[in-house]
Formats: sequence, structure tokens, C-alpha cells
Amino acid sequence: MIVDVKDVRKSFGDVEVLKGIDLSVEKGEVIVIIGASGSGKSTLLRTINNLETIDSGEIWVDGTAVHDPKAAHNVHRDVGMVFQQFNLFPHLTALKNVTLALRRVKRMSKDEAEKVAMEALAKVGLAEKAGNYPQQLSGGQQQRVAIARALAMAPKIMLFDEATSALDPELVGEVTKVMRDLAQEGMTMLVVTHEMGFARDTADRVLFVDSGVIVEQGAPEQIFTAPSNPRTQQFLHRVLEA
Amino acid sequence: MEVLAYFPDYLSGLWITTTASLLSFAAALVLGVITAVFRRSGIWPLKVIGAVYVEVIRNTPSLVQIFLIFFGLPSIGIHLPAFEAGVIALAINGGAYLAEIIRAGLTKVPSGQFEAARTLGLGRTDTFFHVVFPQAARYVYPPVINEFIQIILATSLLSTVALNELTGTALVVNSLTFQTLVAFAVALVLYLILTNVVSFAAAWLGRRMFHPPLQLRQERQHGKTLLKRLTIMAGGR
Ligand SMILES: Nc1ncnc2c1ncn2[C@@H]1O[C@H](COP(=O)(O)OP(=O)(O)OP(=O)(O)O)[C@@H](O)[C@H]1O
Ligand SMILES: [Mg+2]
Repeated sequence: MIVDVKDVRKSFGDVEVLKGIDLSVEKGEVIVIIGASGSGKSTLLRTINNLETIDSGEIWVDGTAVHDPKAAHNVHRDVGMVFQQFNLFPHLTALKNVTLALRRVKRMSKDEAEKVAMEALAKVGLAEKAGNYPQQLSGGQQQRVAIARALAMAPKIMLFDEATSALDPELVGEVTKVMRDLAQEGMTMLVVTHEMGFARDTADRVLFVDSGVIVEQGAPEQIFTAPSNPRTQQFLHRVLEA
Repeated sequence: MEVLAYFPDYLSGLWITTTASLLSFAAALVLGVITAVFRRSGIWPLKVIGAVYVEVIRNTPSLVQIFLIFFGLPSIGIHLPAFEAGVIALAINGGAYLAEIIRAGLTKVPSGQFEAARTLGLGRTDTFFHVVFPQAARYVYPPVINEFIQIILATSLLSTVALNELTGTALVVNSLTFQTLVAFAVALVLYLILTNVVSFAAAWLGRRMFHPPLQLRQERQHGKTLLKRLTIMAGGR
């Protein structure tokens, strides 16, 4: 077990957004989280890498107690994250976006960092764009650079929060392909997405979240063909009909 | 013309104006960055110091600030020459305005940038210097250059503490020649040239320093009107 979430609760002001989440993730597992807008999917991902603190419960990531403020900062060594808005550093080239943390956090030499960065960029098919600034890249290319930036840090777990939602439809495929390749290689992944195709063919397990609760979970074929919970049925009906 | 005999004096006045402006601006920039960081820090004494400094300076006349340092400090045993006193006063003054400009710029950096940095494991210092500051610098560059111009113009106040910068020189030439109009017109043109050189240099630098190149369009228009004005003065259209 590489991620263990135990009875996690989280409120923003008076609103309880996570209402007792339990989740265990095995090494190499690909988990897709689905659910309506505002159900708490992003918040759940963000508690796992300490972007949000939790009110109660425990979160263990490969031995790190993320719920413990003293230990929590260590989680960034093990967990990479990809955001909906890419969040690339606009003042740096693709290469520098990747090398920055390699140099400042991993203390690599310039040559070493560039070598690792170029390997990561090659992996997402963007080695020849290393010298481009983010605004000189398409949305799909920017998101692939963001993935390379996270991968270069050699994380054990990757979090994707609607990584394709900000992309034009024709650019979604190039990003999901990179994500599929990553899953194939055995990366442990937690993926929030509206791409049901990706969920069907890549997920080991699909979680349906509703109002801060994991209402149902299971293999994709089970969730998509025979959901047992009425709310899951409703949600899938809406999404798959659309 | 009699005034033109004093042209070398105007040039040395221009030199004093230029060096005073540059030194004041450089010091003001450092003060401004430090104050902006103070005001954003979570440490309340620093926040209070920053806030009081900015409020005091922005709500009192620059001239009184200059007088306080030049005429006031000697009474507690600190004697500063006019140039040094003037530079210190203008640096303290400009620092307060720059602090507010820089603070606004830092606020404009999207929260996603901080989150990306945190996710990569970057510490606070690295995040500030490698992620936040370079982006804020781009946002604040135009207003910072504008503040630099304001500092250049404010150096004329230093003529009141008997510094022979450009305005001071014009005052002296006026009292020697009584050609008031010409004496001050020469100073005016030299100020105009200085501020426009700064604008052009800043626009040039902005196009090279930032990615994508930063265009200071207003400065360019400003430059064009000067060119027109000079052509007219030279007897052109
Ligand atoms: N920083 C915050 N402060 C206050 N409320 C927040 C904050 N972040 C999220 N929320 C609220 O918490 C609830 C869950 O948000 P969350 O972003 O986790 O939902 P989501 O499932 O990711 O939705 P979406 O599909 O729209 O991204 C929402 O009602 C949201 O408004
Ligand atoms: Mg979300």
C-alpha cells in the first residue's frame, strides 16, 4: 500500500467538503476519480500532497505522515502533480521549467539536470521544444511539459487534476496518450477526469465521489456497466448521454 | 546669448541630476522590495514597520522630508552634504512608492504558480527568487520605470538645499544673467532629453529582458512626441 487515506474530513468554513474519506492505493494502481462539480474531487487530491491541510483523519504516503505538519513537507519528494491550468512558469523555457526543481531541490549540477530534463521532455515527445517558452507552445504541449516537469523529479505517485479539461478537444488525445503510457509503465496514478474513455481503458479502479463521500468504487467495467448506487447511475447517465 | 556661456555649468548640473537620480532610484528599489516583502510576510512587527513607513512617506510633502534630513539631522549630530542628504531623502521617498507598486505586482502572480512550486518541493526562498519575483518584475516594470522618471523630476527639489543640480544651476544662471526665460528653458530641455533617454533605454531593455518581449507603448508615443517637438524647435514641420 503506497497511499492510505483514513477517515479524512475537511471543511472550508462551515461547509464540509470531505466527509470521512477512506482510500487505499496499491503501488502501480491507476485510480480514476469521477463525480459532479463541487463534489470534492480536487480537494481529495490536494490533501494527499498537502496543498490542503485536513481537519481530522490520517494520510500516509509511502511512509510519510501527511497529516502531521512536521512531516508533511516530505510528501513532495514522492508525489508529482499536474494541474488543469498547467501552471508552467511563463518566464522560463520548457527546459528551465523542468530543470529548476532538479537544480534547487535535488541539487543536481547544470549538466546533470539538463540531461534528466531532456530525457523527461523526450518521454512526452517534446525534446525539440526544449527552448520554447510556454506561450510559444500549444495547450497540449504545455500540459506535456508540465507532466515532464513532474516526472523529472522521479515521483512514486502522480496526481492529475482534470489535466485535459482546459484543452481544445483535438489536443486532449496527445495528453491522455502520455498518461496511458505512464500507466503502462507502472506509475501509481490518481486521476480526476471527465474523460470516460480514459477511465474505461486505463483505470484499475474507478471511484465515484458525491458530496464529499466515496459513494461507489470498483473496476471500470463494473462501474460503467452495472453501477449499484442510484447516484452513480444518475451521474453516469448524465455524463455518457451528453 | 549670454546664457549659453554657462552651458558647461548646465552640463555639470545635468551630471549631478543624473547621478543623484540613479543612486536614489537604485536605493529606492532595494528599499521598495524589502518593504514589499515585509508587508507580505506573516510577521506582524515587519508588517507594521512597512505600513507605517509607506503611510508616513506617502502622506507628507517630499520637500519637508528633504528638509528634515538636510536641516534636521545636524541638530542630532548627523551632518550630511547636500548631495548625500538629497539622495537619502529621495531614496526613502521613492522606496515607499515603489513598495506599493511591487506589492501590487507580487499579488498579481497567480496562486497556481505557488502551488506548482510547492508541489515540486521548492522552498520559500527559491519560490520567491526563481518563480514569483521574475514574474512580478514583468508586471511592475512599467510603473517602476515611471517612478524612476518621477525621481528624476523630484531631484529638482534638491536645489532648495543648495545643490547645484540642473534646477540649481538654472537658478544661479538666472541670477547672474537675468535672462529668466532662457535660463529655465535650457534646464527644461535638458530634463526632457534626460527623461526621454531613460524612457527609450527602459523600452529597449524591456524588449530584451522579458519573454515575451515587453512593449512599453506609452513610452514610445512619449518619445515620438518629443521627436516632433524637437523637429519643430529645429524649425522643421
Ligand atoms: N479554498 C477553498 N475555499 C472555500 N471553498 C472551497 C475551496 N476550495 C474548494 N472549495 C469548495 O469545496 C467544494 C469542493 O470543491 P472541489 O474543488 O474539491 O470540487 P471538485 O469535485 O474538484 O469540483 P470540479 O469538478 O468543479 O473541479 C466546492 O463546493 C468548492 O466551492
Ligand atoms: Mg476540481
